[in-house]
Amino acid sequence: MKFFRPEAVPGFLSAIGLLLVWTGVSRFFLPTFLPSPLALLSQMFSIFSHAAAYLVIGKTLERVFAGLVLSMLLGSLIGLVMGLRRSVESFFDGWIMVLLTFPSICWAFLAVLWFGLSDIAPIFTIVLIVLPYVAMNIWEGAKAIDRELSDMATVFRAPRFLFLRKVLIPQLMPYIFSSLRISFALSWKIALVSEAFGASRGVGKELMYWFQGTRADMMLAWGASFMLLMVAIDALVLRPWENRVFSWRPAAV
Amino acid sequence: MATHAVVIDGLCKKFPSPNGRGEFTVIDSLSLQIACGSFASIVGPSGCGKSTLLNIIAGIEPRDAGEVRVQSQDGADSGARIGYVFQSPRLLNWLTVEDNIKFALEAQNIGRSSWNERVTKYLHMVGLAGQERNFPLKLSGGMQQRVAIARALAIEPDILLMDEPFSHLDEITARKMRVDLMQILEHARPTILFVTHSLREAVFLSEEVYMMSVKPARIFKHLRVDIPRPREPEDPRLFDLEKGLVKEFFAVLEQDFR
Repeated sequence: MKFFRPEAVPGFLSAIGLLLVWTGVSRFFLPTFLPSPLALLSQMFSIFSHAAAYLVIGKTLERVFAGLVLSMLLGSLIGLVMGLRRSVESFFDGWIMVLLTFPSICWAFLAVLWFGLSDIAPIFTIVLIVLPYVAMNIWEGAKAIDRELSDMATVFRAPRFLFLRKVLIPQLMPYIFSSLRISFALSWKIALVSEAFGASRGVGKELMYWFQGTRADMMLAWGASFMLLMVAIDALVLRPWENRVFSWRPAAV
Repeated sequence: MATHAVVIDGLCKKFPSPNGRGEFTVIDSLSLQIACGSFASIVGPSGCGKSTLLNIIAGIEPRDAGEVRVQSQDGADSGARIGYVFQSPRLLNWLTVEDNIKFALEAQNIGRSSWNERVTKYLHMVGLAGQERNFPLKLSGGMQQRVAIARALAIEPDILLMDEPFSHLDEITARKMRVDLMQILEHARPTILFVTHSLREAVFLSEEVYMMSVKPARIFKHLRVDIPRPREPEDPRLFDLEKGLVKEFFAVLEQDFR
């Protein structure tokens, strides 16, 4: 492990620069309108010194997770069948286009009208927006399946389930992981928007609350906390998982 | 006890023409019998339909007419085990060497209790003992092809189909593999149908050589190679056989292209 890496210097400098400019500019405004970095940090600490904050975050995470898992499962299934069967491809093709082009914000509002203030509204919104991206991605993957390997499996008389587990799905893994990353990034943003006007509790609801109280500092504190949490999930869960799944690949030089 | 591992009778295969109109005949009423336990080679120029023939036998390519029977040693028509070594290894790169072999064993419904024993036995046979836990992409091309051979042998096939298995390797590696294959086959002796475009390879490896001409594919010559094993690649008798066959080949090819 090297502690000094020359290539990291520009990034480090730009971060320092941003903090300095931010501190400077914040002197001209009320702390509730634009807090200094230090003030923001102390707000974040004060938020998380109350147990209620963890319940709020937990609720949002629960919805993000449910929406993500549902979109991944349904999207992968639809994408896979589309890639493998011509007739199904044309059946879903139009629907995917409809979902991709329909304005996201409409779904968020419609979900509240249809399902009221419940868990269903944010999850429904996530699924409708994220699912088509997943389906498109897996569809691409299923079309790129190596026919030579399929023939090999046929020659050795691999039953369908074995073929699926050992031949087909491993070939889709790169597409599944890229879908997962896009879905994860999209899901939590959608969850917050949807919660802002369609939930009784959640990080989105907090943002709405502090917005109505014109407390920019609290909004930033909540936003930054949630961002840190998402970065942590990416670094501590998604990346190690991906590295493990692809450990068979020779290290890139 | 069946006397023939493969019986092909009046096989026809047509492909759609490249120009989109009509179809052309790749294989025309081809008949062939491969005796149990023999090592037979089919030699022909590229594009003559050799691989298509193997794929029809393996059941991954449909046929248009004729009969193809693959029989197990005990004479049962269905359930004959077919092993296949392709031009490229066609390994599942995300599985370890060991799991690649177990994939074939599981596909063939072979009892789990014998898996470890077979993996060890056949990896040892192809000279890859100790590579069980390695991933295919960490191995050289020649070693990957050895894994593919071990995979095909591990199911203890009634017939082993080999489609130019050494043509993707450099000549020195290929040569070593041919000699090693001979040694391997002293321990495991399935019936082998080996396809190649190299007369030298065919004559060195096999007991029966079938020569195939192009468009449509038919067998115009059958030759027994009676030189006892182990054979030396430089054996002058092999050269003589090869020279004779080359001559006949050109005579037939010239007729074909006239």
